[in-house]
Amino acid sequence: MIANARQLAARWYSIPLLLLLWQAAVASGLVESRLLPGPVAVWTALADETGNGALIYHAGVTVSRALTGFALAVLVGIPFAAAMARSAGMRNLFEPIFFVGYPIPKIALFPVFTYIFGIGTPSKIAFTFLECLYPIVVTCYFGFRGVQTQLIWTAQNCGAGRMTVLRRVIFPAAMPGIFSGLRIALPVAIIVVVLTEMIGDSIGLGYYITIWSTRFRFANVYAAIIVIGICGLVLDQALLVLRRRLVYWQREEG
Amino acid sequence: MKTPPAAVQHWIVPLAALAAWEILGGAGLLPRYLSTPSAIVAALWEVARTGELFVALGFSLYRAAAGLVLGTAAGIMLGLAAGIMPGVRHFFDPLVAFLFAVPKIAFLPVFLLMLGLGHASKIAIIAFSCFFPVFIASRHAVLSVNRLLIWSAENMGAPPRTVFFRVVIPAAAPQLFAGGRIALAHAFVVLFAAELIGSKAGLGTIISYGEEWVRFDLMFAGIVCFAALGFLGDRLLLAIRARVLKGQMIGTEEQVVR
Repeated sequence: MIANARQLAARWYSIPLLLLLWQAAVASGLVESRLLPGPVAVWTALADETGNGALIYHAGVTVSRALTGFALAVLVGIPFAAAMARSAGMRNLFEPIFFVGYPIPKIALFPVFTYIFGIGTPSKIAFTFLECLYPIVVTCYFGFRGVQTQLIWTAQNCGAGRMTVLRRVIFPAAMPGIFSGLRIALPVAIIVVVLTEMIGDSIGLGYYITIWSTRFRFANVYAAIIVIGICGLVLDQALLVLRRRLVYWQREEG
Repeated sequence: MKTPPAAVQHWIVPLAALAAWEILGGAGLLPRYLSTPSAIVAALWEVARTGELFVALGFSLYRAAAGLVLGTAAGIMLGLAAGIMPGVRHFFDPLVAFLFAVPKIAFLPVFLLMLGLGHASKIAIIAFSCFFPVFIASRHAVLSVNRLLIWSAENMGAPPRTVFFRVVIPAAAPQLFAGGRIALAHAFVVLFAAELIGSKAGLGTIISYGEEWVRFDLMFAGIVCFAALGFLGDRLLLAIRARVLKGQMIGTEEQVVR
């Protein structure tokens, strides 16, 4: 019991320690408290803004945009990756678009997206879709390509048709690869939505951060940052739970 | 009908898209804000001739490179330290676990206010964003070095220094590069956002200038340059990696993503 508590303290002491130092620095006037309000002030802002529903509303907007764009990218990306992995024609046509396009910072296209889709939710979702599509397609493609050929041959030998092989052999075998793609893409979705909201919007956590920083209320900015962190952690954990259920035969790699 | 070779097929979709863009745009069938490829090339030439482009390119490149180098250096050093020393690891793990989930760009207003609209705030936010993927990769790399390698070296009388430089670092190098590649991608995303939100120079300014003054060809010229910068940076990193890790990447999947 005591050994457990000590272990826990040894593993997690840094967060309370830094919070204490932070509060001490603010209280002693070492740092400008308007720029860097102490943990107590941030906590008050967090409690207030959650209590009156503002943070919850903006977080809801941000998360629903991120999840919609992400879901669209999954729905399009996984079949696309499967098609590219299974057909040489698709591969030759689309491989360069994904592999050459992968390192290109797609964020640069954001102004164009705002012209096409307007400044509100549709452009955010469309942009999230594009940003998530690349990691999903590329990672899932390797997942599908990595399926052992013997497994497919065995299934075909047992008389399985194309669709059966795809559904019963290739999809399950590629599932770990698919999930690693999703796990890369999900934080990307949140980052992209917050970022584009910061550049231009009137709702969402990104907007919330921008508007309160222009009003010099940095406690609210930090409160919003904390909320974003919590959203990211919760979504990541949800994905891990889903993975544990769907890929029950393999332990996740941490 | 014989299908054309793969190298030819690679070009079909991009070229068809470009041709459709040019023809439809030239015929006025596309909205004006999409411009046309030829107009974009003309705009590129225009800003290149006046030298504006190179000034902006220089600013953006300087910010991205400085931020990337600072963030990566800090990430590698602290990450390696965290991998080797449990004390450092226990200090940083909880912090990184929480901060990693936060888009670092959310801190931009704070950095802008503390460091102003110039280079410093961009470099700082880029370094801050680049730190995390590199730290995580380095920490993980050290911890996953095969213990047998370290034991054999120690068994042959290698002092800790030699073990670190001759065994741990080479074994961790591929993952360090993987972390660096993620950091590079982050650097450009953050650079773009930072230049659009608060800046008076750089490629982001060309893009927003084009947007404001309805010079869509100019906007696209900026976008093209930005994309090219990111792409070439990635290629450069891959080339360096191929040299440094000569022979170490054989038979791995990473080889395929070029």
